[in-house]
Amino acid sequence: MLTTPKLKTLQELIAGATKEELIWLSGYLAGVVAQTGVASVPAGVLPAAQEPEAPAKPSVNKITIAYGTETGNSKKLATDFAAKAKKKGINAKLVGLEQYRLTDLPKEEYFFTVISTQGDGEPPASAKKFYDHIHREKLQLGQLKYGVLALGDTSYPLFCKAGEDVDQQLQRMGGQRIVHLQKCDTDYEAEAGSWFEGLLQKLLSNTAPVVSAPVTTARKSTGKKIQTGVILHNVNLNDIGSGKQTYHLEIAAQAEYQPGDSIGITPENPRDIVEAILSLTGMNPAHKVIFRDEEFSTSDVLRKKLNIVFLPERVVKKYAAIVGQDIPETRMGLLDLLKIYPVKDSAQFTEVIGILEPIAPRLYSISSSPEAHGGEIHITVAKDTFVVNGETKHGLCSDALSQLCTDQELEFYVHRNLQFKLPAEDKDVIMVGPGTGIAPFRSFLAERDATGASGKNWLFFGDQHFTTDFLYQTEIQNWMQTGVLTRVSTAFSRDQKEKVYVQHKMHRHAEELYRWLEDGAYVYICGAKEPMSVDVENALLSIIQQQGKKNAAQAESYLNDLIETGRFVKDVY
Amino acid sequence: MSEIKRNTLSPAEPPKQTNLSSTERIKQKSDGLRGTMIESLEDEVTGAIREDDQSLIKFHGMYQQDDRDRREERAEKKLERLFSFMIRLRLPGGFLTPEQWVALHHIAGEHSTGTIKITTRMTVQLHGLLKSHLKPTIQAFNSTGLDSIATCGDVNRNVTCAAHPMQSEVHEQVHAYAARISEMLKPKTHAYYEIWLDEEKLADKSEEEDPLYQDRYLPRKFKVGIGIPPNNEVDVFTNDLGLIAIIENKKLKGFNIAIGGGLGATHGNPDTYPRLATTIGFVSVASGDEKLLKAVYEVCTIQRDYGNRSDRKLARLKYTVDKYGAEWYREELERRTGFPLEKARTVTFTDRIDYYGWQQNHKGLWYYTPFIESGRVLDDEKVAMKTALLEIARTGKANFRFTGNQNLILADIDKKDKAAIGEILDKYGIIKHTDSASALRKNSIACVALPTCPLALAEAQRYLPVLIDKIEELLDKHELSNENIITRMTGCPNGCGRPYAAEIGFVGTAPGHYNMHLTGDHEGQRLNRIYKENLDEAAILRELDLLFWLYKKERATGEKFGDFAWRQRWYKQ
Repeated sequence: MLTTPKLKTLQELIAGATKEELIWLSGYLAGVVAQTGVASVPAGVLPAAQEPEAPAKPSVNKITIAYGTETGNSKKLATDFAAKAKKKGINAKLVGLEQYRLTDLPKEEYFFTVISTQGDGEPPASAKKFYDHIHREKLQLGQLKYGVLALGDTSYPLFCKAGEDVDQQLQRMGGQRIVHLQKCDTDYEAEAGSWFEGLLQKLLSNTAPVVSAPVTTARKSTGKKIQTGVILHNVNLNDIGSGKQTYHLEIAAQAEYQPGDSIGITPENPRDIVEAILSLTGMNPAHKVIFRDEEFSTSDVLRKKLNIVFLPERVVKKYAAIVGQDIPETRMGLLDLLKIYPVKDSAQFTEVIGILEPIAPRLYSISSSPEAHGGEIHITVAKDTFVVNGETKHGLCSDALSQLCTDQELEFYVHRNLQFKLPAEDKDVIMVGPGTGIAPFRSFLAERDATGASGKNWLFFGDQHFTTDFLYQTEIQNWMQTGVLTRVSTAFSRDQKEKVYVQHKMHRHAEELYRWLEDGAYVYICGAKEPMSVDVENALLSIIQQQGKKNAAQAESYLNDLIETGRFVKDVY
Repeated sequence: MSEIKRNTLSPAEPPKQTNLSSTERIKQKSDGLRGTMIESLEDEVTGAIREDDQSLIKFHGMYQQDDRDRREERAEKKLERLFSFMIRLRLPGGFLTPEQWVALHHIAGEHSTGTIKITTRMTVQLHGLLKSHLKPTIQAFNSTGLDSIATCGDVNRNVTCAAHPMQSEVHEQVHAYAARISEMLKPKTHAYYEIWLDEEKLADKSEEEDPLYQDRYLPRKFKVGIGIPPNNEVDVFTNDLGLIAIIENKKLKGFNIAIGGGLGATHGNPDTYPRLATTIGFVSVASGDEKLLKAVYEVCTIQRDYGNRSDRKLARLKYTVDKYGAEWYREELERRTGFPLEKARTVTFTDRIDYYGWQQNHKGLWYYTPFIESGRVLDDEKVAMKTALLEIARTGKANFRFTGNQNLILADIDKKDKAAIGEILDKYGIIKHTDSASALRKNSIACVALPTCPLALAEAQRYLPVLIDKIEELLDKHELSNENIITRMTGCPNGCGRPYAAEIGFVGTAPGHYNMHLTGDHEGQRLNRIYKENLDEAAILRELDLLFWLYKKERATGEKFGDFAWRQRWYKQ
């Protein structure tokens, strides 16, 4: 395959290399191959013939590497690990947790999990079944040797919580932890790599397992690149009379992203609440406090770093302990807590600051396309409205975003989603995105429009009312007219007596929908996790069953095939 | 036939017309007014229907409109125009049973803005229907025996007839002609039933062959009105075809036939003008109805064959009459009917009013006419008219008749039920509301105009009541409050509110600006003329203040305002 000079160079290189250098080289080459996109096959299935040297027979033959992924990072890592293991002659079975047969768990001998954490300490949707199973069932995992690599984001209060839970639960059920729990922040690559390297060494030498305490990386600035954008335009897409407010923000920013990615925004607390807290506690606003190794004034830390508007129950509980009072376990704002259950003095308040959790960033799917909207990022933000004790309140971040005006600045970071990506340009796409679920699909469609992709596109959209809530209606009409959108099916739930939702429209077009699937279409769902995405998935299953004349199990396996081949992807929240 | 002297300048054969307007082509290729209506209704992405179908839906009694107040803001919200539809019922002679009124009340609430609008042509229309509500609305109307066939479009429209049964002992006999003429001139196509009522397609298309309308219908709308002297409340001379009942010794003898009325005009187009109908003869009904119906039918076919089909602005029958001459039209009519018209009988109209309050007819039945401002039946801060009428309808003891002044008559009430109806009227303050409305207000008409009418240049229905408040003050000042001066306002020159047949007419030219027309007579037999152009409110009031002062000072005894203005030559010379 290689020309003679190339082969010669390679042989020289190999001849002089140490074993470690060779391992590094093979990984490097696999990485190069993966990055250039030459191989769409995972690096792990590269032919063994490319191995520079037959590895020594390892003492462990078979391992399972299971991943629970939301945006694709866990999957990418797990795939990478499996490839490395195979190169060492270990038979590594790679599996997504949503595909994992739960009855296999007690039979496992070596089982390693890469799992991320979402929102307030939850596992990814794809790992929910597994997570619930190990928490609910009484399993005997006497022969299980395991390890967990947890991905997370230190800007969230419950950092790597899902990974921690899995790690503890497996131990509780008799599993033997043979490698420490590694918790990784958003810049996980190096730590994850060395964790697995260490694990591999263990497996190869089969030394006695070392049970060590979970390791969290020493804190340093995260790998997230915080950028500043300028608001170009902000408009509420809902018309007068709507029960909703959905803001379309256009932000000028030179950020790199792809359709399907999100941006993360960390909101600041309202100034008046911070001031009220300071005056109520008699705290000196300039008093210095340390938060995550950095020094801040109390007023700054309260305004920009700590969650004070809506404390979770666990924080309320800690607060009760500090002030020595009996407080019902409920979510509350810090200001209300301080009013009803005051702190003794400012010293006690300093203690309270210590138990507060960081303000979590909020993720918003990007609704623009780099090809169509150069130099801009658009997001689609539903103003979160809820009622607490009869009082209407708004979500901190969506409220702030809704009030942004042209020329104001906004800090954000790009949050990649490796899973939620457009397929090859000639593939057909079915998009189910009611409400703000439309956001990534506006990006997809604008991108496909701008690049002239030849695949067909079918959008399912829904909301409450046709006249007031049809987000991006005129753009969708234009895409219909220019042929970018092949079909649009809409469901407006409150325009008639019977509620009609997107899944009903899928049923109505079952025959054609199934034909699209059979022709290789990719299905994307974005929007509310419950009940929307569950209903849509069930609808899809029953359509497959009906139209494909299959039984329930066959339909399930058809859908699993779609998942495995990346043809059924969700971005739900 | 030989006795008819033919005008040699007039064509013996209808001219072959070229350069047809686009509407003509749409009609001809519409497959019996079907067009692509079903596809238009099924399109989920827009609240509008396709362009060609917008012309065709008029023949089914609907107009597509949009809220012009909301255009700009909705465009920014990426929402299409707020499209909705107006639906108008076919009610020959303007009559509903109490059961039908109850149904109408609920249909209005469920599918439209809720307001029931009584029109200037004795029917009712509903506004603000969304596309998805059209079929349910028509089906609901159908189940109570009502339809909207041919109430808009280039066909014979709703047939009006002098409304008040106490006007004459032969009222019932005259009134029956309205329904018969409406039925005779109804298009034969089955399309309405297929599209809106889901009826099967006709197996035999010859059943809908239409010798009257063929596949081209009329060049423009065609209006028939029947008047009973001495009250001209139907404005009989504003119709394309006016029939004036000739009654001698309490017996119906026949009808004078008047052709070529119509009030539409276009600002800045001197070829267009309002015109009152010309009386061309008399047809007796002494030996049956056949001759009268034949004459009506053939007036229609002449207009079908000779009306202008290239310029819709010049397509009404009045222009055909003026092009060929009224004499020629009479001759052609005689040729087609095969009998000569008799010499027109002398008629005298002395008034043009609604008989407000309680009235009794010759049979002893009772009638109550409430005042309904601008024909809008709704519950507002002044009076709960809609609720009151519903309660009355629910008693089943009063029929509902509509008048040409956008009013209704609670009709045919038995002597023994009068007290019960009176109680309801009293309870809701209807009697007080009616009695306290000024003579000026009770004799006013305003068209719909902004925001729904696509033709409107200025406000009408929303503004006239406010202007009348101010004109009333002037009348008070000059001690003229009892004068029932006929005042009408339209938002454009098309004449829906018949402003050219008023004593004071306001025709919108631009937002807040109106041409003021004076010198029309009180009985509707002399059109008014422009007095001053483009007046704003201050100028209107300044002018009227002066004119009323002169009128009070110099009028002859009993002289009507319109006649005085005519004598003073208050028009632009």
